[in-house]
Amino acid sequence: MSFGQLGVAALLVYVAVVVAVTELARRARVDRTPADHFLAGRGLGTFVLFLTLYATAYSGNSLLGYPGEAYRRGFSWIMSTGFMMSIVVVFHLLVPRLRPLAVRHGFLTPGDWLRHRFGGEAFGRAVLVSCAVLMTLALVNFLLAQLTAMGHVTQHVTAGAVPFWLGVTGLAALILLYETLGGMRAVAWTDAGQGILMFLGLAALLLWVLSDSGGLAATTEAIRAMRPEAVAVPGLRELANWASTIALLGLASVIYPQAIQRIYAARDGGALKRSLALMSFMPLVTTTVVFLIGIAAIPRLASLGGVEADTVMPRLLEQWAAAGTGSALLAVVVFVGALAAIMSTADSVLLSLSSIVAVDLLGRPPAEEATTRLGKRVAAALMVFAVLWALWPRVTLWRLIELKMELLIQCVPAFLVALHWSRLRAGPTFAGICLGTAIAAGAASMGVKRIEGVHVGVIGLLANAGVAVLGSLGMPSQAASFGSTGRVPRAHGLRLW
Amino acid sequence: MTRRLLLAGVVLLYVLSIPWYRDADAAVGVLWGLPDWVAVALGCYVGAAVLNAAAWLLTDVADAPPDASASGPRKGDAQ
Repeated sequence: MSFGQLGVAALLVYVAVVVAVTELARRARVDRTPADHFLAGRGLGTFVLFLTLYATAYSGNSLLGYPGEAYRRGFSWIMSTGFMMSIVVVFHLLVPRLRPLAVRHGFLTPGDWLRHRFGGEAFGRAVLVSCAVLMTLALVNFLLAQLTAMGHVTQHVTAGAVPFWLGVTGLAALILLYETLGGMRAVAWTDAGQGILMFLGLAALLLWVLSDSGGLAATTEAIRAMRPEAVAVPGLRELANWASTIALLGLASVIYPQAIQRIYAARDGGALKRSLALMSFMPLVTTTVVFLIGIAAIPRLASLGGVEADTVMPRLLEQWAAAGTGSALLAVVVFVGALAAIMSTADSVLLSLSSIVAVDLLGRPPAEEATTRLGKRVAAALMVFAVLWALWPRVTLWRLIELKMELLIQCVPAFLVALHWSRLRAGPTFAGICLGTAIAAGAASMGVKRIEGVHVGVIGLLANAGVAVLGSLGMPSQAASFGSTGRVPRAHGLRLW
Repeated sequence: MTRRLLLAGVVLLYVLSIPWYRDADAAVGVLWGLPDWVAVALGCYVGAAVLNAAAWLLTDVADAPPDASASGPRKGDAQ
């Protein structure tokens, strides 16, 4: 059996399993409320919650984009382990404050926090809409990256039998099917299986990388001979970029709507903290492995530039598969694991997108069945749009991640600062978001990605947070109206639409 | 207090993980098969993972705010 035939067979088995899980999730549905559809009835326990967090956090970007970036940059890409771990560290600022409020007030979307926190103020609606728009843009970008990665992986795993366009459209249709029928329950259950598959695939790949390259030391010496700059201690600009990337991803990733909704969907606080404790270790066994794969590719593959470097992992696996049937079988497992990781991120992104558009942007009530139906229609429309866009990839996967983060990070003051500082006011927060977004988007539109190694999004955030904090300090305090506890205000039952 | 110390340790390890204390043209040795500055960064991240996990296990993630009324709805009280 050829590698391509093995790949097609594995793909069919994978699709069949996903369809079966979807049917189980559909039968487990309690009702048709948005809470059941978008948050699995708020009943995710430690095991499923951990695996869905894992599968959602490690996406096509991690498995295709990160090896490509390691290949392009060299050893300084070890920063990827640090920035993926920084997400779980920054969650300390969000989870202990947000979770109790989410449970008490039945939050469904990230916007529910903003509505709750700023709902009684003049610019409360502006903060909500601006954050919802930024989140929507970031998530559409993220979905696009996943679809692109799905096309690449499917084409390689089937040795071209399933072309790029068919991989993108076929798997997008599958995601839409299981999400529409099973909601968050189907997403979380498939995520759990996909997380295990991804972990096993990467473990197999690590064993191959270490054994086939003659060991890490030999690989390092080979790279030193070919590209000495890839081994050298990074210069000042690259060090600034290292710190900036940790800040960019650590801060922006905790504002991921799909991550926030998993905080809401946890069965209890204990399950949530145990899941996050386990998540601390996943960058070591996931990001470090894909970093090593990208590094191992430097002496093996002729110079690949730009978008082409995103195919480093599939190319390595093709080489491995050519070594024999056993290797081919393991390579297929890795491919399907990568595909599973991509699918699990895409489904979570789509589910969050549909809830944000339906509830936060279109203003539908979060407790009505009609909102669930609207969310499903929104998901279908967004998926069609993203598929059409994904069929013509133009930029690298890593650049798509950076663009997404630079927008998303502008929402940080409205979440992290607002959760910890009761004097933050809606007007300055909105002004800060506008300024930060203008800096990040303006610089990006002029082709400026970083200034002295620091991302323009991080520079935008500094200006954004400065305006929000200084502007709030300059306004009369509302602390007295917050009650004797000084906690953030609660606009009970207040909705803006 | 212990949790805060653990988190301070995480921040310290993050600062040490970035090789700002090395010259860009310094000779690079090999440690654990990796350039020495990469091995140090990876070691810092292993330490940070252990401390961060311990900090999470010591974190109190309550399911309702401290001032929530006993009769108040705890779940699904969507507005």
